[in-house]
Amino acid sequence: MTGIVNDIPVPGVHQRRSTPPSAFGEPSVWLMGSALLLCLGMVAVIIVLIAGHGFSTLWPRPVDRVTLRSGEVFLGMPMGSETFTPNEEEQARINALLKAGDLTQADTAGPRTRYRFRLGNRDLGRDSFRWVPAYEIASRERPDDAVVVERDQWGVFIGVPDAVVLRQEIEEPANTPFVESFEVQTPNGSHPATQRVLSETGETRVIAREVHVAQGPAETSEKIDELMGAARDRRDEIDRLLRNRIPAVQDRLAELNWAERRVERAAGDHDPAGPVWLWAITTLACLGSLAGAVGVWRALPESRSRSVALLAIAVLACGTGLHAVLERPFLRGTLTEQQAQVRLDKIAFDSSVAEDERETLLSRIKDLEQRDDTVRVEIVDPGLDRFAPVAQTKPEEPMRLSQARRVIHANTLGPLGRVRLYLARWGDFLSRPPGESPGEGGVFPVIVGTVVLTMLLTVSVVPLGVIAAIYLREYASQGVVTSVIRIAINNLAGVPSIVYGMFGLGFFCYTMGGYIDGGPGAAALPRTPWWLLIAGLGGLVVLAGLLGAGASTPGVLSGGRSLSARLVRSATWGLWMGAVGLAIYLAWRTPYFHGFFAEKLPEQPTFGARGILWAAFTLALLTLPVVIVATEEAIAAVPGSMREGSLGCGASRWQTIRRIVLPASMPGVLTGAILAMARGAGEVAPLMLVGAVNLAPASPVTATPPFLHGDRTFMHLGFHIYNLGFQSPDAEAARPLVWTTTLLLVAIVLVLNLAAMVIRARLTGRRGGGGL
Amino acid sequence: MNGSNGVVSAIEPIGASEVEPKGIAEEPKPSGRKRQGSVLDAIRRGEPTKATVHPEVLTEDAVIEIEAFSLWYGSSRALFDVSMPISRGKVTALIGPSGCGKSTLLRSVNRLNDLIDGVRVDGRMLLNGAPLYAPHVDVIDLRKRLGMVFQKPNPFPMSIFENVVYPLRIDGVRKKSVLRDACERALRGAALWEEVKDRLAAPALGLSGGQQQRLCIARAIVSDPEVLLLDEPCSALDPIATQRVEELIAEISERYSVLIVTHNMQQAARVSRYTAFMYLGHLVEYGPTEAIFGNPKLRETEQYVTGRFG
Repeated sequence: MTGIVNDIPVPGVHQRRSTPPSAFGEPSVWLMGSALLLCLGMVAVIIVLIAGHGFSTLWPRPVDRVTLRSGEVFLGMPMGSETFTPNEEEQARINALLKAGDLTQADTAGPRTRYRFRLGNRDLGRDSFRWVPAYEIASRERPDDAVVVERDQWGVFIGVPDAVVLRQEIEEPANTPFVESFEVQTPNGSHPATQRVLSETGETRVIAREVHVAQGPAETSEKIDELMGAARDRRDEIDRLLRNRIPAVQDRLAELNWAERRVERAAGDHDPAGPVWLWAITTLACLGSLAGAVGVWRALPESRSRSVALLAIAVLACGTGLHAVLERPFLRGTLTEQQAQVRLDKIAFDSSVAEDERETLLSRIKDLEQRDDTVRVEIVDPGLDRFAPVAQTKPEEPMRLSQARRVIHANTLGPLGRVRLYLARWGDFLSRPPGESPGEGGVFPVIVGTVVLTMLLTVSVVPLGVIAAIYLREYASQGVVTSVIRIAINNLAGVPSIVYGMFGLGFFCYTMGGYIDGGPGAAALPRTPWWLLIAGLGGLVVLAGLLGAGASTPGVLSGGRSLSARLVRSATWGLWMGAVGLAIYLAWRTPYFHGFFAEKLPEQPTFGARGILWAAFTLALLTLPVVIVATEEAIAAVPGSMREGSLGCGASRWQTIRRIVLPASMPGVLTGAILAMARGAGEVAPLMLVGAVNLAPASPVTATPPFLHGDRTFMHLGFHIYNLGFQSPDAEAARPLVWTTTLLLVAIVLVLNLAAMVIRARLTGRRGGGGL
Repeated sequence: MNGSNGVVSAIEPIGASEVEPKGIAEEPKPSGRKRQGSVLDAIRRGEPTKATVHPEVLTEDAVIEIEAFSLWYGSSRALFDVSMPISRGKVTALIGPSGCGKSTLLRSVNRLNDLIDGVRVDGRMLLNGAPLYAPHVDVIDLRKRLGMVFQKPNPFPMSIFENVVYPLRIDGVRKKSVLRDACERALRGAALWEEVKDRLAAPALGLSGGQQQRLCIARAIVSDPEVLLLDEPCSALDPIATQRVEELIAEISERYSVLIVTHNMQQAARVSRYTAFMYLGHLVEYGPTEAIFGNPKLRETEQYVTGRFG
């Protein structure tokens, strides 16, 4: 200031300041723009790569018949080409071909082209893919009669349809005259038939009769089209019985088995019950603390000590309440011998019913399979001159028609047919369960698992995170402790996710799950004299209540600064916390609680093992910091004038939070939820430890009660991608599907995010003018 | 929250203390009628001073009585033994330079200062004879008896209707007819009904600044409070909106006792019946508005209201 004052000696003469070069921002603008472009470019590359590969995998491809110079023939789907530089051996081969005049001089120099073909026919020993250098190919054509057979097992089969065979096994007296081949008359004309003796015992023999109802590619294709519908219906029926009905009956049988164990445990003095008076004390303590909560609610004015006292009493009520609920002494060990016998009889009867049902189902399946077994189709790999076998161990028997999901005339398919096939394949991919080997079947249960997990995670993390953020921002005094807590939360976000996996497995699965399954004994928790605990708890509560009543009077504001008042307050705090800790410990201990699923231990833990509920909790813990930080920021962004306005109207703190602060920070809360969902849906490492599996035996959600099975394992898209592409024995064949699955995962995350964004936008819009 | 430690110390008097005494010294004293000696200097030096209270205010029926009220933000003191009655059914204005504690005093009445960590009070405050700072006073219930309007319009991000009936909602009133009637009554009282009656469901944030402030006044009077506390209600408004709000205050004062903080001397002169001049947390002079603006007992007051300092 003084300088300027000194520099104005001459009135009317203005000194102009020059602008330094550093004031011009263009270079940095260019730099920033380029950086942004780079980021956008990388995102675009990822999207294009995933979308391109993901969408093209299921597009139907033609079939080439390739004849090599060596005379070898194979059918394959062209999958692209690349250029390569021949090594010495290959160069020698090229030179030999040149010498023989099979290659022209023109293309000797420089890199060569080689083609990649997808071969299929794995059960005949073919590789999934094959690279063929261009100079080895003698001829390459697209035969009209080549078909691609999509099968439920062993992947695709590429071949030429040759015959449809009705195969029967007939037992006839040994003295019947036997002919190897003859003509069979049917309404559709006469067909050649062959017979073969399978086994012969003294008086009878078993022969296999094969009637060739169609021969040659054209006739066979026609016949296949005619018989396909019925064959698939039979197969679907068998699948339905095997996948749904049989497991349901098995589950019932297993359940009855456990019920039997349960009755036996109840009848025998297996789980000793606690004394009634102990239970009465805990029940009274629970009711007392509830009454205390009501008392505090009414007696104490709005203050921090009131919320702390309420919190403490609530935990106390929960702890003792849990004890009271879990340890009902009169509900245990009350079965007399006679009652037990009655129940066991009922269970035995139910079991026999279920077993009958299972037998019926099995015989129905057998019947269907027998009928299904007669219709066979010969589809020949021209290179090997062998047809697709019914199983790899039975190469002499052609495959059943029902084993084919689709028979595609790949080379005669019109554009419309291609599109239809493409969509049908997508439909299959999205709606079918995975096959037995990776790359087969669809991903429906995987999608279900991912979505259910994400939803469970969201509903568990959002309330927790929001409550924590509200307390941190609105109630807690902003001091050193709050800062430390905040730093700790932020650091929690940086902990590697596998650590959460370890924690989830150790704490949720083994400790909490073990407790639910078999009580504290099963979860390896210590046992201590419980009456001491209850006495200590009671003492602490009474003392803390007395102190708290003295310390939390409303006059504190005007006179509570003295050392003694502060001492009393900290003592109250400490006592409350001690009481809360004891209550939790008491609930853990429950010495006479033997778990809800003790009868299944140790063979089959219910919650004491990996499952979708524990996985969701683990991920909730993992994403908790995200939600807390986002919510805290949103709450902090609500202007203080809003709070003052509400409080000035006579609203309590809680009313202000509920009616003003929370609604205004809802967009921020939803942002946190979105981030948590996206993170949770994409996380793999901890899931591998706490519940995601290769092939889940049953879905975690069912159409029948209880609808959600938190104890079941599940499949997850992220883990599925890892398995599909890198863990399966035939990873190369499954690799294209990895892209499709990745696309799906990205799409699901995108849909979840979009949904949350739409909700957020609507919330903001309804509240008038761009939120706050 | 505007009354932190910084506000009390970071005020103009540094500049004022340099200029003001000189001005007094150079200027020949106009008459011996005004009391001699600088009260403001004494206040600045931290010497105990006595407020000059005109006898007229003491004869009025007081709705709020403030008795030797002091307030500390942590270790810094913001109010020094303020004693003044607030007349029932009249408008009382608090004027004074920034940071003189007028807003703090206002916010002490409905105990909004309780929300700030480290606030401590001394002395008494009575609302209709009942102490406000006694133990076991239900602060929430107290605030329900006092309506408050803030410096910046702060409508909640909800519809106009919900804004007005907010105080009733938090009291658990659910009946649609009751809420509708109360809403109309309050909006008419705040002279806003004609403008918004057709769009009660529209977001309140879409209103203009003046409308928003009148909405806040409607919100403050919907539950029929005993006293209305206005904290510079017009400082964020343009002159036309200010005029409307001032007219409104004049109307409202027929029903309610009003305590208004204002920076605008003309406004205080226009709307209020009584005026208190505060300086650095001290009450300096308190009397009928005509007296304070026309014929104050203190020279300092005259200088302040005529704009020669502050």
